[in-house]
Amino acid sequence: MRIARPAPRTPPETIIALIDVVFFLLVFFMLIGRMDATAPFDVTPPTGTTGSDMPAGGVTLSLSAEGALALDGVIVEMSAAEAAVAERLEKQPDILIRINAHRNTELRRVLPLIARFEAMGAREVVLVVTPPKGGP
Amino acid sequence: MSGDLSLRRPKPPRALISLVPMIDVMLILLVFFMVTSTYLNLDMIPALAQRDTPAPTQAASNTPAEVLLIRLGADGQPVLRGQAFENAALAELLHARLSDTPGLQVIILPTGSARMQALVSLMDLVTQSGVREMRVVRLEAAE
Repeated sequence: MRIARPAPRTPPETIIALIDVVFFLLVFFMLIGRMDATAPFDVTPPTGTTGSDMPAGGVTLSLSAEGALALDGVIVEMSAAEAAVAERLEKQPDILIRINAHRNTELRRVLPLIARFEAMGAREVVLVVTPPKGGP
Repeated sequence: MSGDLSLRRPKPPRALISLVPMIDVMLILLVFFMVTSTYLNLDMIPALAQRDTPAPTQAASNTPAEVLLIRLGADGQPVLRGQAFENAALAELLHARLSDTPGLQVIILPTGSARMQALVSLMDLVTQSGVREMRVVRLEAAE
């Protein structure tokens, strides 16, 4: 009579290590990423060395190089964008309005926007810039 | 046979809390953050800041400080009193004027067809020169 020796059990892979790595990645992406709505078209902000850190929140108006408008990531017409911003301003008068214009956008499309927001009673309008590569 | 021999049934092993649902949730969160985040490093330049207190220039409007009007051409070239300036020359000029009049005010009048990058570069240059008062104006007809 031969008794078969049971095959040695393979040690279970330590799943704890996997959890550690995944958790680390999770925290990394939470810290490093911004959750703002991105524009549905290409927007490369101008390079600026004197910009300051931008707080989150507020309303973002993106402008493409051709002058297309997007409000918080949704393409809108000028009139609709103004109405939406006016509504937000009514609810929250000190809301931050960010103008995220492509670096090749003509100023005739940008400056009148700021003037209109000022006329609506906006308190804070900022231009989005990006620091030059390799540090400011 | 007396009751000397008693066989104990071994205790069933304690069930571990299953880690699989936790890993599922964490992976979903991880993918969510990877997909939704953008990695552009963005800064801001104030374009309009209305404060409750009146701006100091309004209070001191009786004694106007020296004002420098810089026009920005469609090619992105700053023009001062009809003369086009390179960036380095303009910075030097601003430094010289600032040492004479520290309250120098700079007004930038860009052409409507100038690019956004040109305006931001000029604003950078003026700010880095140490000018405290800078305004961007536009002509209504430039729309």
